[in-house]
Parts: sequence; C-alpha cells; structure tokens
Amino acid sequence: MTSNVFHDIRNNLAVAISSIEAFREGILEPSPARLGVVLHALNEIDVLLRKIPREVPASGAPANDLAEH
Amino acid sequence: MTITKTGRRTVLVVDDETAMVEVLEGYLRDEGFGVVCAHDGPGAVEAFREHLPDIVVLDLNLPGFPGTEVLRQIRALRDVPIIMLTARVNEVDRVVGLELGADDYVGKPFSPREVVARVKSVLRRGERAEAPPPVGERRVGGLMIDPSSHDVRLEGKSVTLTPTQFRILEVLSANVGQTLTREQLLQRVSADGDVYDRTLDRHIANLRARIEPDPANPRYVLTVFGVGYKMVDPT
Repeated sequence: MTSNVFHDIRNNLAVAISSIEAFREGILEPSPARLGVVLHALNEIDVLLRKIPREVPASGAPANDLAEH
Repeated sequence: MTITKTGRRTVLVVDDETAMVEVLEGYLRDEGFGVVCAHDGPGAVEAFREHLPDIVVLDLNLPGFPGTEVLRQIRALRDVPIIMLTARVNEVDRVVGLELGADDYVGKPFSPREVVARVKSVLRRGERAEAPPPVGERRVGGLMIDPSSHDVRLEGKSVTLTPTQFRILEVLSANVGQTLTREQLLQRVSADGDVYDRTLDRHIANLRARIEPDPANPRYVLTVFGVGYKMVDPT
C-alpha cells in the first residue's frame, strides 16, 4: 500500500524537478499551463506525504507498512 | 539491429505523464534527435511498429499494459535498445536483469540531461557492436598489425600492447601519412571518453617504447607539433 505512495511521490517529484530544470535551461517555456502542472505535482506530493504514518520507530526496523515492495 | 542508420536518430519516449514526455522530448530535440511519443502500453507498441525508432525510453508504470509487457512485445518485433524509467527502485534489478533485458535504467526523479546522456551512451554501445569487422592485417614498414586478432609484430617479433595502445596504433595505421589532430585521435580511440587529452601523450609515449627501435627518435609515430600525430612508413 505505502509502496504506491512512495512511487507516486517519486513520479510527482520527477515531473516537478524535470520541468523546472527544463525551464531553467531554456528547453521549455514556463507557460502558465506548465507552471500549473508543476504546482499540481507539488500539491500531490503534499497530499501523499500526509498518507504516510507519522510515527516512525526511532530505532530498529522501520514499520512494516513503510517498507517498499 | 543489423542495419547501421545514418543521419538523425529517432527516440520513442513513453510515459503516462504528459509533462514528463514533453520535457524529455524538448531535451532530445535540443540534442538533434527525432522524437516520437506515446502515453500508454498499446500506444507505445503501435508507435514502435509505425516509426521503428532507434532506441526506446520507456516508463515502467503505464496504463493499458505495463512497460514490462511493452518491452517484451517490442523485443519480439526487433532487437532495439531500451532504457527503462522507473519510480520503483525495487523493480530495477528485475528490469535490467536477464529476465527483461533492458539496456539501462534511470530512477525517478531524474535530471533530464541524465536521460539524454544514457540515450547517447546506449546508442554508442550499439554502434560499436554494429561496426564493420576490421579488415585483414596491414603492414607499415617492419610493423604488422592484425586488427582481428589484435596481433602486432615488429620485424616478425610479437609486441604486447595494452588495449588503448592497440586502438591508437589501429587508428594511426589506418591513416598512414595523414596527420590526425589530438581531437580526432581521442574521438576515434575512445568511444567511452576513457582516454583524456592529458593522457594521450603518455599513451603515445608508451606505444613508442614498444614499437619504435629508438623511442627517442621515432620513425613510425611522428609528432606534428601543435597539431597531433601521424604514422609514416619509414622504409
């Protein structure tokens, strides 16, 4: 279950990071539509982060549902 | 692939995220590649059949059917290099391993330049494999060079060279009497960029030590000051 959350976070990060890099290097124009896509990806990451259990054991193995499959 | 294409290389980019495809398309076009795009499994296979790209950049997670299935179907059609994109770190071994046989992978998130670099490197690997077989032995003065067996003989006696030294000799002996600039030599000797400008002189010096009767006064591999090197037949 949580493995999908991490997967989705990475996918959204990929969109945001690659897009911003393309803007910075002049590969793509940072049009309002493209900036909207980046903003949406960042908001998605925020939503996804809230799904991750807050309490992570301070020591020992991570909680099972945090482990990736 | 058995056919060496000349001219522009075409890349098929497959990812369900439109923005992701757009960014990669922009970077690849900027580097002079032709680009074809698809956003799901069936669309990817269809685009492949239609355009027969030189290389495929394929996201693992696709609607329709997954990237792994796209990879199987494409490979059944043609042996084309495939680079996988994945946000699932734990899938990487399976994807690149023997089971699926992708040529390379890039984990998400990535820098688009990294993807372009991998595309170039995988294509270069393929080009070397496709290169025509070296012709038979060639003779320069008392030197006999056999590109197929990597055999070098000087006045009949076997000479042992490192792979880099051999590549330098191979390139120079294919262009006897012609001056090659340092850039030309580096480019032809080092497809992987593993021979650097500052080490070229050392490789040449080592090569001379093995093949020149008097390395201090070379007769085979001459320095053309300010330009590069040339090989001559001293006889």
